[in-house]
Amino acid sequence: MSGRRDWLTALYAAGITPASFLPDASVGRLGEPEDEPQAGVELVEDGELRVHPVAPQPPPAAVGFLDGIQQWKVVGYDGVRPIAVAYVAAAVRRRGPDGRLRTAFWEARELVVAPAETLDEPRRRAIAAAGLEAVSVETEGPPPLQPVQALEALRREVHRARQALERELGRQAVERLGDAEWLVVDGQLAVSAVLARHPRALGVIKSHGAQFLEGRHLERALTVPAAHRTSVFRVHGGHGRTEVDSWYLRLWPWEGRDLFYGLIRIEMAAAPNPGTRVPGVSGWLLAERATLAAPDARFDRLLYPIHDVETYLRSRAPGDLLASPASRLPRTGT
Amino acid sequence: MIDRSVSDPVPIGRVVATEQKPATPHQFHFWTATETSVGIGAIVRVEGGGTGDEGRVVYGVVTDGFAYSDLASPLHDVIGAEGDPARAAGAPTARAEIRLWTAAVLRQMPEEPLQPVPLGDVHMASDADVALALRMDAYLHGARPTAIPVGLYTSGGLEAPVYLDADFLVGPEAAHLNISGVSGLATKTSAVEFLLGALFQHFPPHRGKIAAVCFNVKGPDLLFLDHAGTLEEEDRRRYDRLNVEPAPFERVRYYAPFKADGVNLNTLRTHGDLVGAVEPLVWGLTEVLDFAEVLLNRDDIDAKADAFIDFLADRVVRRDFDDGFGGQHHVETFADLERLFRSIFDGLENAGRGDIWRTHHIATIRKVRNRLGNVSTRCKGLVTDDGPSSDLPFGRFEDRAVYVIDVANVDPLGQDLVFARVVSKLREHLERRDLGVDAVAVFVDELNKYAPADGAETYVKKMLLDISERGRYLGLVLFGAEQFRSQVHRRVVGNAATQVFGRMDADELATPGYQVLSPATKIKLATLPVGELMLRHPHFTQPIFVRFPRPPVLRGRDGVERYPPAQDLPFEDAVARQLTRLDPGLRPNQVKDLIAGREEADVRRALGVVRRERPADLLATLRRRLGGRVAPEAARERAAVPPLNPIPEEPY
Repeated sequence: MSGRRDWLTALYAAGITPASFLPDASVGRLGEPEDEPQAGVELVEDGELRVHPVAPQPPPAAVGFLDGIQQWKVVGYDGVRPIAVAYVAAAVRRRGPDGRLRTAFWEARELVVAPAETLDEPRRRAIAAAGLEAVSVETEGPPPLQPVQALEALRREVHRARQALERELGRQAVERLGDAEWLVVDGQLAVSAVLARHPRALGVIKSHGAQFLEGRHLERALTVPAAHRTSVFRVHGGHGRTEVDSWYLRLWPWEGRDLFYGLIRIEMAAAPNPGTRVPGVSGWLLAERATLAAPDARFDRLLYPIHDVETYLRSRAPGDLLASPASRLPRTGT
Repeated sequence: MIDRSVSDPVPIGRVVATEQKPATPHQFHFWTATETSVGIGAIVRVEGGGTGDEGRVVYGVVTDGFAYSDLASPLHDVIGAEGDPARAAGAPTARAEIRLWTAAVLRQMPEEPLQPVPLGDVHMASDADVALALRMDAYLHGARPTAIPVGLYTSGGLEAPVYLDADFLVGPEAAHLNISGVSGLATKTSAVEFLLGALFQHFPPHRGKIAAVCFNVKGPDLLFLDHAGTLEEEDRRRYDRLNVEPAPFERVRYYAPFKADGVNLNTLRTHGDLVGAVEPLVWGLTEVLDFAEVLLNRDDIDAKADAFIDFLADRVVRRDFDDGFGGQHHVETFADLERLFRSIFDGLENAGRGDIWRTHHIATIRKVRNRLGNVSTRCKGLVTDDGPSSDLPFGRFEDRAVYVIDVANVDPLGQDLVFARVVSKLREHLERRDLGVDAVAVFVDELNKYAPADGAETYVKKMLLDISERGRYLGLVLFGAEQFRSQVHRRVVGNAATQVFGRMDADELATPGYQVLSPATKIKLATLPVGELMLRHPHFTQPIFVRFPRPPVLRGRDGVERYPPAQDLPFEDAVARQLTRLDPGLRPNQVKDLIAGREEADVRRALGVVRRERPADLLATLRRRLGGRVAPEAARERAAVPPLNPIPEEPY
């Protein structure tokens, strides 16, 4: 984008030290830890957490899949304060009867993220003039901030921007959801009250940083065999959460691999008698094993349509955001 | 004609370039939706839209196509379906896949500076785009257009006429057409028939007159060019689109030698309704002598024999000649020549002058005599011992006429003679500009046989090479056809500016001559349907696929079914038929009465004269030529002479 390049040129001319640094996990959402506070749970199916076999079921005729990406790069230092440009995007891709995914919603933002004291008013105006969005990071404690702490603060801000975009698109998507249409969200459903209350919205969680069960229930949940699910438990609302029903489902055998191999947790709006709808939803998600999301490293837990949304979002991301100047040189021997 | 309506503004694809697959000035890659009308051979237009590319337009033809998904390993699909293909087919989500096409650049506008193809939108080509892409605009319009319709480029519902440039088909810029393809699909013959029709109808007036000479070398292929064939509505629509009148040839002249009996024509066009239009092709000594090399084994033609044949041609034939022994000769026929030879041998023997006559050794003379003497035997029906010849109307060729020479049933030696002589005569007359037309297209099928890449240097091959290399200056154009292009002499196919390919054999496509074609193009060539061809022409920088309509003439097989060949007639009936054709008022019985009891050789000779002179009173001329009938004289009975001394007891 020429606006960003022009802005950067002016920024460097004004004395900012150029940098080109890709912090870890800036190329996308790689196992974002569930940082929600521990919430209370209650078994709503069976008196004891049990394991139920699941048979593949045909999916609904129309399903939307929501996912988002975030990319960011430190482009300069104001003293020791990092200035980053970031790109966050989200999309809903709708699967029709022909099995093909087509984009229903897409939104992207290009941000300049920096500590508040770096983004003075003239710089904000320059950022706006370049078509970018200035995002200040309010840091705790007196300046100067440690660079490592500042980077973490920037990362969280980018993460929040992406989540906000996902929530917004999720809201738009469920508002326009057809009568028999479902929406599958990559990650927790509970982060959005609108989504968490919708009867045909699902959250599919691949990472298991936050655990809701303990003791023998936890062991039974994490060792559930392939093509089996656990009983449904209700996750009560805590800070920033809406009450949802949840259960574990194993897509692929984990023996010989890892405990979490093929294991997903599903969130769905809380409702009475979950045992009547959960088997069907579980069977449908089990059927989503094909098409395999390979070559993505998370293919054991990543649904192919979510992988497709990520691919779509990456293909629309600005190509020069993550590329460092050196990589623009032609490779030798090719 | 070219439809100049604006093309569809909606792009069907987008040029992509990566380091591995970059866009170059000669090639580019683009992707389309999976549901697309683009296919191998499709012509597309790329519009430059980026900085510096505004206004640039690039035309390309699709040469290859790729489809792939995001599947990194086939094993992933197996795992996803748990080893069950049926389950894979039932997967809820279809994998993202791509249709990626490779296109070869046909033309860039502007032509300079020549740059890599811009990464712009790709559109299907319209009629006008096809004309520009193939550089047909240079000869399609203007004060003196030279465009000859050759077929329809069809892709994505578009049918755009494709034209050849007459200056590059018939000369003088370039010339000759070569068509190759597997046999049995009737594509080669049909294509030539259609193209000749289009050439006759669209040959530019400022280029003068044109005719065609077609050698019918197998079956009844070219024997019904003057009869309308069956056309379907689709064919008529294509003719309309190409602005070609779907009508059989107006002027077709057929020529065929006689069979060995000298009166029945050696052709399959002998049905009573049609045989009248077939002229006999009969040559005598003067016609053959210049081409003796064709008829004699190559081993026979040493320098001495060659010199003696030249001596005969220059000093003896058609001249009053003194044999040096007091004999006067005027050699016109093989019979006259035989008399001369006999006179020479007798003279040498009687004079005791040794073995030399006019510097030629008697052994050489005997060898030439033997070989020439056998010519009329070996080519009986085509070459006559005695009597007048009947030939093509060299010097009186008609504009837009087709001269079909049926040599399908003539033995190979005779075919060689016919090719060599006809083409040589055409060349002579065109050099003198007195043929009657300004250009002649000569159609020769089975070049694998007549101009093979390897094998002996035959007279016919030399003649075909000569046309290929020098014909375009004269207006003598070779339309050659063969099954295996790789096995035809390189200079014959190499000099053909216009190359046409029908369905090809996979083995043939594996030969080096086809290395320039992409694998996809080869596959398309190997599966081409009847009526579709791949075309190369000097104006087209890449091969183009075109469809042509069925020719408007009766196909050989259909013609033979509709007009079954007649049985050979007895000698008298055959003579009567020939004469009644010349004069329909003549009754067959009059002819039969006249020739009854005559020597067949005498009748053939007289018939030849009548055929050549076409007198007002055929019967009178025939009678005069046959001469007076000499009544047989019975031997007188002699009176018996009694023995002087009869012996009564004589036991014997």
